[in-house]
Amino acid sequence: MNLRVTAENRRLRHEVRRFLRERCPSGDEVPYELDERVEFLREWQRQCYEAGYVGRAWPAEFGGGGRPPVEQVIVDEELAAAGAPEFPNIVGLDVIGPSLLTFGDDEQRRRYVPRILSAEEIWCQGFSEPEAGSDLGSLRTAAVDRGEEFVVNGQKTWNSWGQYARWCGVLARTEPPETRHKGISFLIVDMRSSGVEVRPMTQISGHAEFCELFLGDVAVPKENLLGARGQGWQIALHTLAHERSTAALPHQVKLRTVVDRLAAEARTRSIEGRCIADREDAQVALARALIGVEVLRHHACLTVGKFLDGKPVGPESSTVKLVMAEAEQLVGTTALEVLGESLYASEGDGSKSANRFWYETYLYSRNATVLGGTQQIQRNIIADRILRLPKE
Amino acid sequence: MELELTDEQRWLADSVGQLLAKAPPELTWSALVDFGALTMASGMDGLGAVELALVGRALGEALAAVPFIDTAAARYAARVLCDESPGFADVLTGAQAVSLCLLEPGGGWELGRSATTVIRHQATTSTVEGQKVAVHHAGASGALLVLYTDGEDRRLALIDADADGIRFTPTPGISIDDAVPVSAAALTGVAVSDEHALPAPEAEIVLARLLAIGGILAAGEAVGAATGLMALARDYAGQRRQFGRTIGSFQALRHLLADMYVKQTSAWSTVLYAAAALEDDIDDALRTASIAKAYASRVTLEVAHGALQVFGGIAFTAEHPAHRFLRRILVRGGQFGDAQHHERMIGRELAAGARRAELLG
Repeated sequence: MNLRVTAENRRLRHEVRRFLRERCPSGDEVPYELDERVEFLREWQRQCYEAGYVGRAWPAEFGGGGRPPVEQVIVDEELAAAGAPEFPNIVGLDVIGPSLLTFGDDEQRRRYVPRILSAEEIWCQGFSEPEAGSDLGSLRTAAVDRGEEFVVNGQKTWNSWGQYARWCGVLARTEPPETRHKGISFLIVDMRSSGVEVRPMTQISGHAEFCELFLGDVAVPKENLLGARGQGWQIALHTLAHERSTAALPHQVKLRTVVDRLAAEARTRSIEGRCIADREDAQVALARALIGVEVLRHHACLTVGKFLDGKPVGPESSTVKLVMAEAEQLVGTTALEVLGESLYASEGDGSKSANRFWYETYLYSRNATVLGGTQQIQRNIIADRILRLPKE
Repeated sequence: MELELTDEQRWLADSVGQLLAKAPPELTWSALVDFGALTMASGMDGLGAVELALVGRALGEALAAVPFIDTAAARYAARVLCDESPGFADVLTGAQAVSLCLLEPGGGWELGRSATTVIRHQATTSTVEGQKVAVHHAGASGALLVLYTDGEDRRLALIDADADGIRFTPTPGISIDDAVPVSAAALTGVAVSDEHALPAPEAEIVLARLLAIGGILAAGEAVGAATGLMALARDYAGQRRQFGRTIGSFQALRHLLADMYVKQTSAWSTVLYAAAALEDDIDDALRTASIAKAYASRVTLEVAHGALQVFGGIAFTAEHPAHRFLRRILVRGGQFGDAQHHERMIGRELAAGARRAELLG
């Protein structure tokens, strides 16, 4: 192994920096209201895609850049380091896209993948159900074979960006319940179909990014089956492994910018008349948060760097998920701990914004140990598939 | 950028592991030297910090007690001198082991102004006096790398371990791991030849790299020991039966072992990354080494604590090997600075960075 970057890599880094200096919107420019925000971010993703910075390592024949995975790492690092806003099609990029590339036929890949990259079509994911969270194998949404099409009935939840999505990757039961995992298929559902209803839910952070999804007699053409009938579970595992691994690389840089921002904030605030940044307890807390984020970077680079071009991801991705969630929550709690009494004792400037970022960062981080498979599910995967411990 | 170990590196790790499994303890050191573990440190064949970390990990896994870390660290750190100090480099060849003499009574790893000082300058030598502690493997060493003060400057010199005026006193019980012999060294009227002493600028550069590579190798060995202990705990959980079932089937232990695995594997990632960063002279390489040492020191100890819990009472007996792994993890965790030391340094640097940004901002 070596960390030396080639001259070509260095040129790319400078090119991305120049692009970001000219085009990257500042945090203030991004609208706060969700509808406007999504439109704004969609345009931002389109610009980045046209510049060659989205799906850089995905196959060129399906709209990707066809470049080595390390280039996507560099681009993502620069995007995050510049504090660039997130892409709205995160589900398509991190979750559905890699599965389409692996399990889709050429027609599906040509039809869907380029529009994921350009954000022309936003995707959501219909996996969890009210009665099937961690126990995903017990899902009840049913797809009945009616010759030309499947007719789908059921309810999904934690449907991130569902209100903006054009397509949804739905796990539905095509075989009887007693077949458990083997009876699940992966269907591509058009969100404009009749019988699809979306209800946004407000999260503890105050935003409404996720939704409930109701499917009532929704007709799904047979050509919208991804992979083989009954292969849905296998696709879901692949999808989730990608979600929890390759996402770690851009995510760690974002966390790093939060730690730096916290160190800067600590300089501007005092506790008991003493600048927070000069207090050893605050310095050590900041150091621990930085260590958490840096270890995530190192572990993600060494474990999942090689999966960025869509190759199957192994159970080691669960270790990355655990490290990532811990780092994110450590950063969130460290913010409250370091700023401490200054959060309450500040006069404020009349706007809500002085503490809002830190409260949202903290509240949002509580999700990290739940989404994409809870910590407990990841530990089960490690115990079974890496440590090969006896089953419970 | 190549983010995976090469086939050669994997082969090297396997070979060292096999060598350590076969060689009787008294021959371990010479077998390692014959294998080329020290020439790697000198930068032969394009090998370097990553390969040394692989050796360190293998030593920890096998619980071997040899003067590897100090010797390899001294040689590796001196590599940056190129041909400018030939006399210095000459000592660091062959099979000769080196012991670092850095710490002093009551001091810590911040290694401020050394109380060991030059008391007299002669034509081509200086006379140095002082007290050093926590000298590892002094009995096996041919040379000492000593940190001392000369006027305003910190300096490093190589001295023959049996030079006149050096007296070692074994200090058993100072270290929690008696398999790693530790001594105090009293230096009285010791002659240091100018050609074996580094002037201040070079001494500072070598010292910084010495602490970085030393921390990486100690962390690597701690990860190795955690890996070895973890494997024993995992096997035990897969065999031991209570309540009519294998205890490894209880979720409480499955999740404990899974967390231990995550700590061990992420600690190894950060050690490898830090080694590659130092080898490739990446920006922030010294801080990355500090981060790796802080993290590995903290979590390998947590792995050991988890393992003791998996074993239950049996691991509290002296004849069970668990405590020997635990002791090694503690010793390597403290060497070149424990987690708290590195966290204080990193935190201070973060605060200073924020202040600079504010002044520029």
